Amino acid sequence: MVPEQQQLHSIGQATWRRDGQAKVTGAEEYVSDITLPRMWHARVLRSPYAHARIVHVDTSYAEALGAVCLTHADIPKIRYNERIVSTPPHLYRDRYVLADKARHVGEAIAAVAAPTEAAAEQALRALRVEYEVLETITDPEVAMWDGTEPIYTNVQLGDQELSIEHNIAVQRTIELGDIEHGFANSAVILEREFATSRIYHAQMETKGVVCRPESDGGITVWPTAQSIHNVRQLLGEIYSLPLHKINVKRVPIGGTFGSSIQMNSVIPICVGLTLKSGKTIKLVTTREEDMYDHVRYPSRIRLKLGATKDGLLTAGHMHALSDIGAHNTQAFAFLSVLSGWWASLYKLPAMKFEGKAVYTNKTPSCAMQGFGNPQATFAVESLMDDLADALGIDPVEFRLRNYVGLGGTFWGQGPSVQSIVLSDGVPELLEKGMEKIGWPGRPVSGSQTGRYRRGIGMARGFHTSGAGAPKPGEVIDYSGAFIKVNEDGTVDVVHALMDHGGGTLDAIAKIVAEELGIPSDRIGISPADTLTTVYDVVTHATRGVYAGGGAAHKAARKVKAILLDYASRVLGIETNALVIEPDETLGQGVIYCPSFPERRITVGALAKLCQTNSWGSIAAVESLRQVNCPPAYVAYFVEVEVDTETGSVRTVRAVIGSDCGTVVNPDLAVGQLEGGLSKGLGYALVEDNSWEQESGRLLSKGFWVDGKTPAMSESPLLEDIDTFFADSYEPSGPFGAKGIGEAATNPCAAAYGNALYNALGIRFTELPITPERIVASMVAAESGATKAVLV
Amino acid sequence: MTARTINLNVNGEHKEWSVAENDLLLTELREREGLTGAKYGCGIGECGACTVLVDGQPSLSCLVLAQSVDGCDVLTIEGLARGGELDPLQIAFLDQAAVQCGFCTPGMVLMGRALLNEIPDPTEKDVREFLKGNLCRCTGYSSIVRAILTHRR
Repeated sequence: MVPEQQQLHSIGQATWRRDGQAKVTGAEEYVSDITLPRMWHARVLRSPYAHARIVHVDTSYAEALGAVCLTHADIPKIRYNERIVSTPPHLYRDRYVLADKARHVGEAIAAVAAPTEAAAEQALRALRVEYEVLETITDPEVAMWDGTEPIYTNVQLGDQELSIEHNIAVQRTIELGDIEHGFANSAVILEREFATSRIYHAQMETKGVVCRPESDGGITVWPTAQSIHNVRQLLGEIYSLPLHKINVKRVPIGGTFGSSIQMNSVIPICVGLTLKSGKTIKLVTTREEDMYDHVRYPSRIRLKLGATKDGLLTAGHMHALSDIGAHNTQAFAFLSVLSGWWASLYKLPAMKFEGKAVYTNKTPSCAMQGFGNPQATFAVESLMDDLADALGIDPVEFRLRNYVGLGGTFWGQGPSVQSIVLSDGVPELLEKGMEKIGWPGRPVSGSQTGRYRRGIGMARGFHTSGAGAPKPGEVIDYSGAFIKVNEDGTVDVVHALMDHGGGTLDAIAKIVAEELGIPSDRIGISPADTLTTVYDVVTHATRGVYAGGGAAHKAARKVKAILLDYASRVLGIETNALVIEPDETLGQGVIYCPSFPERRITVGALAKLCQTNSWGSIAAVESLRQVNCPPAYVAYFVEVEVDTETGSVRTVRAVIGSDCGTVVNPDLAVGQLEGGLSKGLGYALVEDNSWEQESGRLLSKGFWVDGKTPAMSESPLLEDIDTFFADSYEPSGPFGAKGIGEAATNPCAAAYGNALYNALGIRFTELPITPERIVASMVAAESGATKAVLV
Repeated sequence: MTARTINLNVNGEHKEWSVAENDLLLTELREREGLTGAKYGCGIGECGACTVLVDGQPSLSCLVLAQSVDGCDVLTIEGLARGGELDPLQIAFLDQAAVQCGFCTPGMVLMGRALLNEIPDPTEKDVREFLKGNLCRCTGYSSIVRAILTHRR
């Protein structure tokens, strides 16, 4: 519930996004748009083999063409993990700037730089590499067999050597309570195996970087990145450069969805070329290179759940296996969050999680919108529907009896990041969702005949808001902001936070405006780089508004206190009696005392007075670790129509409800839900990647739409999508806000699976649920198999 | 490669380019003219981020040979706003929050403009069919469709 006294002038207002005009006119500059004087171009030589020793790299021909070349021999022999969001002891370090061995097709082996892109391409083709080809391992089960070629013999964990056995990168077992006892006291126990796919992020912009050498021996870097500070720290570590000589600039990013949570592999390559050549160098990858760079973690999940006849869960056991591909970017964290999302969906008196992450010779797996959450939620929400069915309880009612809500413990980022739930819009989301979709009128599952069959299904879930918690965990969550008031009453906000397009920086401006009592169009967001901002970990875990905004709110509070202190001096009124409010006529904030309204001064006049009287700057810098990680709840209700002859699925209606606390940017928040539906239904129904077993190559051969990213013509019509927000207030968030972005997609695939079960009486356990799979399962069901078929 | 001189108009300005047979329109616009609003998204005509209008028709500039636009009028996103005035469709994109990361936006706006020039009163199906070759991963397309339809009214 929103506190009654909260009257907002900026938060909750729909405004043109501040980078909008640049984006609609083509003026916005992404990395690939940057051109600098005397800039050279680089290209990367990538392995055509999935698994091979590099015997020799001959750069002489390329160098004879005038190119600068970089190979494994040139780079510092420092192993690192590209993603430094985990605390140092939990970092699995298995990669070099350029590979010591090819472990997947597309692995960077060498790089060249030349004055033009064409010359760089020519030099690239002049490189000669001798490989010793090894056995390709594409199946994670095969990877674990005795005698399979090891992809790694050892890696580094923190600063210790860790030997790798059976290609298992990391294992985790997490156990709470006595599951045997729980299952023994269950009226119903169900167990199923689920599989989710290795889809491509399909962000519109490929990765790029520009690096310029500075005359003091330092470098300036313009990268595609989700975190400028983490990029700087890693570059400093790899190249032994002092951090004050590395300036990483914030550059607008053309979509990411997790694909740049790590320092992208081309960044240190480009820096290596610059340091070797002394040239300014630009390196932009092709789409095909990008498709070999990252995919969502796939999963095979065996889930067992028990419940009493009254519909209360008793125990759960989850086995998870993930094919992480050729590098361990964040497999430890992935297994942690898989267990955490599961533990936070429903109250389990006893649970056991056993997870394994296995290396293969494929594109490295990487965080993607929801990080483990779409995978876990697909399994849990599918099985919850089956359990409700087995118990004869309405699926929504069954969820209400068991979900983790107000006062419950939420795992925001695995077992080490836990906090108590302080805001809970779930009952409202479920009640309104049922009403909007027409829940009571849904058919009996599997009762329909005929070519076209309709079904209604639902699933719920959440994502965390940040990775903060009361005690330090395995994940860093820290943000800082610097805010200063200018002499005309405008404000500069200097914050390292990245905005991936969701409007995070607009939200920051509104939060600052709200606290300071200044109109939001008077709040500027400064360009950011690592020399002039304090640390922000990374925009991930749906933390931008909640944690990044929380830090800005903290700094704004301090600025407000300074403003009121000086105003008290000028107006002769006690600080506590003063307020600041936006004055529309003056276009700035005005400080006054409601009891003596004639005692007033504009924020600008006060700032100027502070300067001319040498009283001091009106500015503050603050950093914040949030000590909570509130769940941003989401519920999906979808109605589908299946053409049983072709297997095609049409979305008749999709209702998406969100509990994001206070809604900061209302139109962009709707956009998050609509975008979540698009990516969620792609994941549910069509998107996948396949690798040739022998060669380890993508079957799509780098063709993007083979993936298959939904197009406008394949997306639900406007009138068939209904979004809404719960009346909710998060006490620990800035003005009651929590997250939204990743939550928007997490339960989507399960909702489609449950709607298809309702339409066809068939439980789909493998994603994507393609027309081929639907038709095959219809044929199997009609040829006399049991009513409920597992596919 | 044989270079050839071509004459064309880009955003209303006359240009004379000396271009090789394999030079692409996208590269010339971005690197020669500094018109970086047209984006490289895939290089093989799958995503629509490089869309420009050639003689009013949408073209995937990553697949168009520069020599083939000799004598043509090329409009890029930079040329759509005239004299500092945004095109009504650009305003509709802002009003409908149809811009997120913005990387697909130039292509989407130009496709929308081409559609509206052809069919001033399109239906939702017209919009979805006409723009189906332009990918967007952020919005789920709804806000973009709304922008084009509300502009119609």
